[in-house]
Amino acid sequence: MARIELTHVTKRWGGFYAVDDLDLLIEDNAFVTLLGPSGCGKTTTLRMIAGLETPTTGRITIDDTVVFDSEAGINIPANKRRVGFLFQNYALWPNMTVFQNIAFGLSNIKETGLSVSPEGEIIRNPDADGTPRKLTKEEIKKIVARVSAIVKIQPFMDRYPGELSGGQQQRVAIARTLAPGPKVLFMDEPLSNLDAKLRLEMRSELQRLHLSTGSTFVYVTHDQMEAMTLATRICLISNGVLQQYDAPLTVYNKPNNTFVADFVGNPAINFMNARGTQKEDGSFELTLLSDYKASFTPSEPVKADEWYAEAEKEIAAFEAKQRPAEKTNKDVPFNYPIAMVTDMPDERTPDKEDWVVGVRPEFVSICDDGPIEGEVFSAMPTGMETTVRIRVGNFLLTSVIFGGITYKIGEKIRLRFTGDGATLFSRVNGRLTATGKIDVK
Amino acid sequence: MTSLAIKASPWKRRLNRILTYLSKPQNAILLALGIILTVTTIWPAFTIVRDTVTIHQGTVDTRGAEAGQVYTTFNWTDLFAPATKTAQKLAVINLWTPLLNSVLLSIFACIGSILYGGLFAYLVTRTNLKFKKYLSSIFIFPYIMPQWTLAVIWRNLFNSHAVTKGADGLFASVFGINMPAWWCQGMFPSAVVLALHYAPFAYILIGGIFRNMDANLEEAATILNTPKWKTFLRVTLPLVKPAILSTILLVFSSAMGSYPIPHYLKLSTLSTKYVEMNVQRTGEASILAVIMMLFGIMILIVNQRTTSGRKNFTTVTGKSGQSSVVNLGIGKYILSFIYILTTLFTGIIPILLFAVETFLPNPGDYSFITGGIAGHMTTKWWATAENVSENGMYGQKGMLFNETIWNAFGGTLLVALVCALVAGTIGTLVGYCVSKNRRSKWAAYVNNMAFLPYLMPALAVGVAFAKFGSSVGIYNTFLLLILAGTIKYIPFASRSALNSMMQLSGEIEEAAIIQDVPWWKRMLRIIIPIQKSSIISGYLLPFMTCLRELTLFMLLCSQAKIITTLLDYFDEMGLYAFSSGINLILVLVILAFNALVNKLTGASIDSGIGGDAK
Repeated sequence: MARIELTHVTKRWGGFYAVDDLDLLIEDNAFVTLLGPSGCGKTTTLRMIAGLETPTTGRITIDDTVVFDSEAGINIPANKRRVGFLFQNYALWPNMTVFQNIAFGLSNIKETGLSVSPEGEIIRNPDADGTPRKLTKEEIKKIVARVSAIVKIQPFMDRYPGELSGGQQQRVAIARTLAPGPKVLFMDEPLSNLDAKLRLEMRSELQRLHLSTGSTFVYVTHDQMEAMTLATRICLISNGVLQQYDAPLTVYNKPNNTFVADFVGNPAINFMNARGTQKEDGSFELTLLSDYKASFTPSEPVKADEWYAEAEKEIAAFEAKQRPAEKTNKDVPFNYPIAMVTDMPDERTPDKEDWVVGVRPEFVSICDDGPIEGEVFSAMPTGMETTVRIRVGNFLLTSVIFGGITYKIGEKIRLRFTGDGATLFSRVNGRLTATGKIDVK
Repeated sequence: MTSLAIKASPWKRRLNRILTYLSKPQNAILLALGIILTVTTIWPAFTIVRDTVTIHQGTVDTRGAEAGQVYTTFNWTDLFAPATKTAQKLAVINLWTPLLNSVLLSIFACIGSILYGGLFAYLVTRTNLKFKKYLSSIFIFPYIMPQWTLAVIWRNLFNSHAVTKGADGLFASVFGINMPAWWCQGMFPSAVVLALHYAPFAYILIGGIFRNMDANLEEAATILNTPKWKTFLRVTLPLVKPAILSTILLVFSSAMGSYPIPHYLKLSTLSTKYVEMNVQRTGEASILAVIMMLFGIMILIVNQRTTSGRKNFTTVTGKSGQSSVVNLGIGKYILSFIYILTTLFTGIIPILLFAVETFLPNPGDYSFITGGIAGHMTTKWWATAENVSENGMYGQKGMLFNETIWNAFGGTLLVALVCALVAGTIGTLVGYCVSKNRRSKWAAYVNNMAFLPYLMPALAVGVAFAKFGSSVGIYNTFLLLILAGTIKYIPFASRSALNSMMQLSGEIEEAAIIQDVPWWKRMLRIIIPIQKSSIISGYLLPFMTCLRELTLFMLLCSQAKIITTLLDYFDEMGLYAFSSGINLILVLVILAFNALVNKLTGASIDSGIGGDAK
């Protein structure tokens, strides 16, 4: 039903760039989540698409309609964009009953070729002849009945929002948003005010809703789990700059940089500083965890020097970008965390032989013949899985093991990195050089 | 529209941008209000400034001027750089003494109202004081009543023929006590009366913070074994400091512009001196008004500085809401008794005294106390139905039949009603638009423009509009009164609207925008119903204040036009029974309105004064 395209969209307040030159294509019927830490510009992006915020420059189209273009001076107001918006705190009108809340927006629709199906769905035929008309009381009732059945709030139609629980309010807000049949649905952290159990339930309902309405969903969240589970594509933003726009599993397995790798995944990825060079056969000879020798074999062939040349070109292009005002919220390289028992900052300026190896906790496995020696630092069994933190020298590694296993704290164990899901980043620019397999000798 | 990139010409783009900007109702309204408020605030102020250098025919400033000369610096030099010894003496009498008195009066009024009202706020919110409910409603009576009420009461109580000349007050006639002159007139009684009048400000502003303050903050200090006095000084007091500051600013500017109190209690201040000099030395009087305006601007700047700073804790609220109550022990009865006694004098006795005065055969003749009611009380002031000159009626009909009084009363109601409607509406719109454009400099400017008259001494605003009114030929019309009242009272409405709109999440309205609900419908169906009570108090406050306003209006019209100026007229004539009777009617009408609106809507004047401690 709707395809959204953002071209070079920037929003700034003075020198503060809330959104910095964002290009984004949201396919019809997609479920896209805008993900990022608080203050990264994701809500601003959503509000700009909806028309609640005006971009400083750029161009936004919904379907074939240009809704905003700074060059042409086009700015279609939010109320004419025919979108639905689900607010974080629901924004239900406290002075109206549930029924009135849902019906209020419907009573304003005035179009030509308007009809309502027996099931209570609005059918629009804007090309039809005749004078524009409003919906009748009966039609409104029919529509309200349909949407309230979808979210199961029929028993509460005469109550005021103040008399509903958080979850019920959320459902009313969804029904109100669905009622006019928007072609796109925007959601701004809709589940953040719910308790953990309800959140899980609503998450699955939103997924069903996406399927049954067939609308395009754009969803803002700072919860990476929500983004991973719901989205068809994740758009990860930091400091107003797009970091990665891919399917959830791609983001998880092939993170563009250390920021993405760290932000996605719980427990977080293990980062290890490494030093070494690429050999003739394409593999990297590395030293990591103080004195362990390891070899990293990329899954796809990569040439370190060529890769560096390419990355430098891209970075130079990014920095050479014309800006009308200097960016006060500077883009600094992500300071990836390395877990240590006592913090010992590495103050050496990294060069091209410095790398960061990332290993997801599920690829750190405890086995008797593992090459790395460690001791259990803490163990947290949940029943379904056990998260173990292991001390290797001064470093800490996190491992997730399926099943409930009890470890004694202080117990000596051995471990190894398994699978070919390890990641290699450059320490100079934090970008992903390759994914592959890491072997510790 | 196509999806092709179109590059519009620069002027077209600019036009589009302006149209987009104005397509948001809040922007269009802000633009219009900004222009209107600038004109109505700046123009009158400008006319006063021009007046200080204009030659007024028939006044002293024509001296030394050549024929045909329009402007002179005579007024300024005469006050600030007097040439002769006599002129120096005159400058002291006309400028320096009133200025000093005004500043001192304002300072004393601030100290008094904060001590009296702040202590009361603490006692009501933080201790187990008895009769809290009764006390807190009676405590704000002095603010609801006309400003001069307490001054008149003071005069009626303590004046004596021996000390102040004129009729004996209650103390002298009944007990034979002659209070000393400093007690009866001048700085001391003026300061006390002003402090009592503005103490409700302190109570409401400081009490608001005490009420919202999270008890955990104090409990945290207690857990750390901090002595009680130290907790109070280091934790509690700093938190209420913003409220104390805003009370100081408000009381200072109000006291500076107050005319009736120093007038009745015979203290020479800038405002009384202005009225005195207005006819003979018009230009010099205007300089006094300019000085008062400068004080107003200074206070606005201080207010800006303090409210925008980092140390603005007004949002300190906690979820516990369970404030710990200090046990006063036996003190709870003693302190309640003291406050019941003082509020009796400030709240109940004035009304009774006014009522009694209207039945005395002659002003100050309290012989009924000793001689019995029959023969020593009269209904002539109320019920005389014809023009008579005997019995001290000065040819006036009794109050019940006196058309002049009822016409003036009608005039007051008209002014108050229209002012309330216009000021309430504009104020609400300002509050709404500013809350929608929080970051915009223009919105901040409009907000300040709407706020400025609040901190301007009432007399200075009155003077400005008097000059303005004469220059455009609307002097002594209801239009001018309404204009002045509206401008002066917009802040009441804009502040209470802004405070409440700020708390309303923008999403509430955006949820309706998204569904293409037109602006007027959003206002009528969503914003106004939700903010009902604060919007009503935005209308109520100008109405109430207008009913009892004298200082602002007295220069703008002839004395029979509205009830407060008529009251002043009767008072000067010596028809004290009439002035008391009008006072009584006014106070009762205001109280009745307050009670009615409170009952109907739940909004009340005390929740509206200043709203929060901004």
